[in-house]
Amino acid sequence: MEEQQHPSEKKTPRDAANWAGRVDKLHVSGVSPEALNLNVEGRRVLSPLQGFGQMWQKTYRMRLPRSVATPETVISTWKERYAEFWPKGNRFYAPLTGIRPGEVGVINATQGPMRLSTGVLVLYSDDTSFTFMTPEGHPFAGWITFSAHEEGEDVTVAQAQLLLRPGDPIYELGFKMFGSRTEDKMWQHTVASLGAALGSPGDVETEIVCVDRRRQWSQFGAVKHNAIFRTTLGAPMRGIRRLAGPRR
Amino acid sequence: MSATFEAAVRRERGVAIIDLRGEVNALAGPRLEAAYADAMSEAAESLLLNFSEVDYINSTGIALIVGLLAKARATNRPVLACGLSEHYEEIFTITRLSDFMSIFQDEASARSGTTAAPAG
Repeated sequence: MEEQQHPSEKKTPRDAANWAGRVDKLHVSGVSPEALNLNVEGRRVLSPLQGFGQMWQKTYRMRLPRSVATPETVISTWKERYAEFWPKGNRFYAPLTGIRPGEVGVINATQGPMRLSTGVLVLYSDDTSFTFMTPEGHPFAGWITFSAHEEGEDVTVAQAQLLLRPGDPIYELGFKMFGSRTEDKMWQHTVASLGAALGSPGDVETEIVCVDRRRQWSQFGAVKHNAIFRTTLGAPMRGIRRLAGPRR
Repeated sequence: MSATFEAAVRRERGVAIIDLRGEVNALAGPRLEAAYADAMSEAAESLLLNFSEVDYINSTGIALIVGLLAKARATNRPVLACGLSEHYEEIFTITRLSDFMSIFQDEASARSGTTAAPAG
């Protein structure tokens, strides 16, 4: 007798293990104690639809000979050595368990007098891609997807793609003035470093598309979570606490 | 990565419906964009994405849907979704897409609009 398939069985997810579970508020655990862990714990994650500024899609890609790396090799190298590929002044503290769905990484960055402590949730991860989602207070609300795919017979394409809206009016202004260019340089450096680590240094192609020109004024209040302000302005107080703290 | 993705457009009483079929991943981008352009080429009050024949969506696919949602919102057209499996309904919640689109169990309830309870 032929067994009848229940409609829900037809759609049994083959990717259930690739996605983070439902996360209401972020919790940081298992990152290096040297990380400055601010603006992550207890924060909600945001999709690119939730930010304040214009929505942008930024893609940074590099073509590698297939003989050098398959898509799977690209992504496993990227996951294992993610922090190494960032430019000077930026630190990524991956969870000790690695880049896995549901894990939270901490980011520390410095630019001139400004300090930033924020983080990311690993939203998705499989053999050929992984995606980070940003929390409230991060310079942008959005996702960063790292992926690799085959192109023709001989080429592997490695790419980082950001879908973002600057998180608040101050970030939007900064993004227009210098933040967007800084972001481009950072990801171009990251993708180029990945290529070099795989033994194939080369040019990084950049593609920038404005997906939505409107600003979402309803998100104006997000400025209260601004992680750069909170990190930079809180630095003197943290210094005083460190000096006064554990000594007896 | 499989290239099995199709998107067909039809119109029902002011609603532009995109029937999606197969896997929504990076390779779905051009077809999804073309379907959206087709759907919006004639007057439509809202856009309904029918996922009932979709069996896989990865994070790149979700990003494609976000892009499409942003474009529709820029033209003040509400976006609805129907036919999502329980798993992908959960993913739409995790990724917070469900904050911006109403999700219905099937096409009939989506088309009857506010009188039907969203699935999620």
